[in-house]
Amino acid sequence: MLNEDGPWRVNPISPLVHAARSVPVWLGLVFVGASAVGYVWGPLTILLSVFIIVTLAGIVALFQFVNWQRLTFWFDDQGDFRVDSGVLTRQQRRIQLSRVQAVDVVQPLVARLFSMAEITIEVAGTGESRVRLSFLTLNEAHLLRETILTRARGAAPDGSTVARPDEVTVLSRVPWPTLAVSLLLRTSTAGLLILTAVILAIAIRREGWSGLGLALITGGVPILTVFAEFIRYYGFTVSEAEDGLRLRFGLLKTEHRTIPAGRVQAIEIVEPLLWRRKDWVRVRVNIAGVGKASDSSSSSNGGETLLTPVATRMEALALVSRLMPSLNFESMEWHSAPRRAWRRSPVQYPMLAIGWTDSFFTARRGRINRRTAVIPIARAQSVRWTQGAWERALNLASVHVDSTPGPVRISGLHLDAEFAKTVAGEQAERCAAQVR
Amino acid sequence: MTQLDEGDWQSVSTKLALARRITLLFALVPVLVVVCVLWWWEEVPDFVAPTVAVVAVVIGIWAWWIIGRRVRSFGYLERSEDLLVRSGILFQRLVIVPYGRMQLVDVTAGPLDRALGITSVQLHTAAATTDAVIPGLTPEIAAQVRDRLALAGESRNPGV
Repeated sequence: MLNEDGPWRVNPISPLVHAARSVPVWLGLVFVGASAVGYVWGPLTILLSVFIIVTLAGIVALFQFVNWQRLTFWFDDQGDFRVDSGVLTRQQRRIQLSRVQAVDVVQPLVARLFSMAEITIEVAGTGESRVRLSFLTLNEAHLLRETILTRARGAAPDGSTVARPDEVTVLSRVPWPTLAVSLLLRTSTAGLLILTAVILAIAIRREGWSGLGLALITGGVPILTVFAEFIRYYGFTVSEAEDGLRLRFGLLKTEHRTIPAGRVQAIEIVEPLLWRRKDWVRVRVNIAGVGKASDSSSSSNGGETLLTPVATRMEALALVSRLMPSLNFESMEWHSAPRRAWRRSPVQYPMLAIGWTDSFFTARRGRINRRTAVIPIARAQSVRWTQGAWERALNLASVHVDSTPGPVRISGLHLDAEFAKTVAGEQAERCAAQVR
Repeated sequence: MTQLDEGDWQSVSTKLALARRITLLFALVPVLVVVCVLWWWEEVPDFVAPTVAVVAVVIGIWAWWIIGRRVRSFGYLERSEDLLVRSGILFQRLVIVPYGRMQLVDVTAGPLDRALGITSVQLHTAAATTDAVIPGLTPEIAAQVRDRLALAGESRNPGV
């Protein structure tokens, strides 16, 4: 496909793939509709249902065919990537390759049956900055991805590039039992499961079965989330690529992501309470232009910002050192929060600390989920010093080093007020001095 | 070591307090309506309306007073390499933004602000949490600050 100059189209059988993807929806609708009018299932009605489903899928295919005709993409003379699409509203997108953050190849389940893939292009910027092209054959998708990335790096690709598999070395792979156990032992999951057990015990003792409804929720939700995440992160593999780390995961839908080393803004190592016996950690990253501000909660649905769902500390540190080679926790100078901080945060105060080297700043917090956040000070956007009313009464204050939006927050909580101010000043000075 | 509290800290216009107090009065209008309704409504015991009114007045006076203190707490300091903004009474904060990390400077003024002749200047970096706003500058000073900041930002390599 990419051998000749564009404009190119996505694969001609894409409308069929789209239609096949819509079949479960129609199936569900027909079932619901049939049971609503009280149909008796017989050969005739089944035939009718099949006919309806095929017709609806056919309409989708027709619609997508028109879309397919109108969707073209090419590299223009300025070297930008252009995508024209839309039937009623024509949309012309022009993607500056220098602004491309990541190009991912995704294979949804149905597409995989056709050995098709879709490609998503993340562009720096706010709003709807993701471009999606579906579907290409797997080879074409990888080739297009490679072409875009090569061009984005500024190297002129020779026109006759042939598909070549990525030459990557696998750095780590999460075995599925580890993934399953780690998801079950996550603090929120384990907490809810224990709660379920307690509710069940009470229900059985009291024979008050009304509590069972609650148990279904407290027990069902974690099992569903564990199941969903297990399917999503199954076979999580991190490999080393030219431009950073490449992630590959998913049981039903294979996702490929690239974490470009140059765009990693901050890293956080999370150690949930029940993982510590095994010395497991989870690593999350802030990537410029990828994370959203709303990702800041501890929910791990941000697959875009996960470096590994679970790994031993050694493995995790090895991965981190690929992204931040000069980071060395041993040479870190740690400063803990004073003892009086227990009045402000009775649970987590022993963990509260900050540390720094010449080029990194670290903050540690959390007792149940211990979090260690690291930011290269050159990547810091601003430094804040804050003091709430209760903190002031105890002569405490917090230092925050602001990173781009993402799950990682670097906050040194409840330090000595004067010390915090000095640190804020010093780190701001260091940040300003580092020209990137 | 740098002393952050020292230096030529600039404060903001006291008109900001006026603007915020006017907004406060507007916010009290619905409360007044509620009090009237409660007073005229037969089924509500007589003491309810005066109680609500007294509570509203007390909160209003407290807010009136705290607005004055909060406006006085705003301050900013332009240093050679960074801008410092401080604010807050109960929750105090101090933001340090190196000029090299500034992405854009917003100057905004709502209708009330324009009537009173004040403007607010907000600095944006690539971080959503930066939160560096200087409200209540006169338009001339705001323009000067904006130009100085833009110049300082341009001469340095932008972050990210």
